[in-house]
Amino acid sequence: MKIELISFGKISDFIKNQDIEITDISNTDELKTYLERSFPELANTKYKLALNKDVVQENRNISNHDTVAIMPPFSGG
Amino acid sequence: MASERYNRQVILAGFGEGSQLLLTKAKVLVIGAGGLGCPALQYLAAAGIGCLGIADDDTINLSNLHRQVLFSTADIGKLKVNVARERLLKMNPDIEIISHPVCLQKRNILDILRNYDFILDGTDNFTARYLINDACALLGKPLIFAAVSGFEGQLAIFNVPDEEGQRTNYRDLFPIPPQPGEIKSCAENGILGVLPGVIGTMAAAETIKLITGIGRPLINKLLHYNLLNMEQYELNISPAANYSLPKTEDEFLNRVNNDSCELTHGYAEIDITTLFKLQKEASTLIVDVRERHEFPILDNHIYTKIPMSEFSAFLETDIQAKNIIFICQQGIRSVTAAELTQEKYGSTKKIYNLKGGIAKWRNHFLTF
Repeated sequence: MKIELISFGKISDFIKNQDIEITDISNTDELKTYLERSFPELANTKYKLALNKDVVQENRNISNHDTVAIMPPFSGG
Repeated sequence: MASERYNRQVILAGFGEGSQLLLTKAKVLVIGAGGLGCPALQYLAAAGIGCLGIADDDTINLSNLHRQVLFSTADIGKLKVNVARERLLKMNPDIEIISHPVCLQKRNILDILRNYDFILDGTDNFTARYLINDACALLGKPLIFAAVSGFEGQLAIFNVPDEEGQRTNYRDLFPIPPQPGEIKSCAENGILGVLPGVIGTMAAAETIKLITGIGRPLINKLLHYNLLNMEQYELNISPAANYSLPKTEDEFLNRVNNDSCELTHGYAEIDITTLFKLQKEASTLIVDVRERHEFPILDNHIYTKIPMSEFSAFLETDIQAKNIIFICQQGIRSVTAAELTQEKYGSTKKIYNLKGGIAKWRNHFLTF
């Protein structure tokens, strides 16, 4: 299936906004593992996923054409 | 309430004198009088917030001025809270403005927050942000969260129940603070001055909406703003179950393993052995911050003399060394020097303080 990735802050330096084709991935836990393997810098970064604009607090199923946002924390002022 | 000052907002349909009265009765604390705090304070003061607090222990330096628009060049070296208060009172003498020239810590934050109804976090580091978050969660204070990074900003409102009575806080997004250096600060990463202007102004608008009940404030939502392409992205936040917050004041004060609450300093305390080891490294600068009349006088080829009385001028210069060690008589004034330098350079340089100072290691400094 196809999902849309949207990234923010310094995460967008190594994960550009893009549509990705995923196979054998059905939920956000599996997607996390896949993303951290595909983009190793993500594994060393604090981030939060949002599925269709809802922050992911527990494992959620992913469907075709879903949008996943990857958000890092900001502290600057 | 027939004040001409607020006439243009009072006559707004959907605002009116009732809303203005709510602003007059509101007590708002802005933490951090920096890039976010300055514009927020300007609009909150202008709008007629009855009691406006400003908490910041920092002084103004030249590199602040491109974004901290309450300050002028002549203010360099002065305390931000004092200059901000003076400027804001000139703009609106009808409100009360309280300055808190303190660094908020676990032991003082609750007493300060208690006096306010709404807290606006415009600080510039995660230590402060987690401390403020946890304190606001404990006291149930509405928290307007604003932060920037590069060309992007984040805005959210925490601890305010939504229509279903659900409340969230920053730990629902990021339960554990990032490691020092994981996310770069404005000092390291750079910041376009207008960005905190936009986000700080939005934070003021959210504060006003929250106080008066107009519109749809960002309760349990995280707004992401990108200045470069003018895009906004809004996320819905729900409570997470993977962290715990202190439930009582005692717990808040005594939680020693808490990753957030103890202010960690960004410099290292070292002994004389480490000092001599670092001294051998090419890019090490050792700075003696004692005044010129103090003894013992050290070899000025090894120890660069920059008395505290001349320190702000030194900070304006661009220091090339990667390691900077500060020393003084007792190791106390050098802490201030280390802190000031750390604020400027963040984790881009390694900063050290000789613990105990020259007095403790006197024999090692005697020249034969």
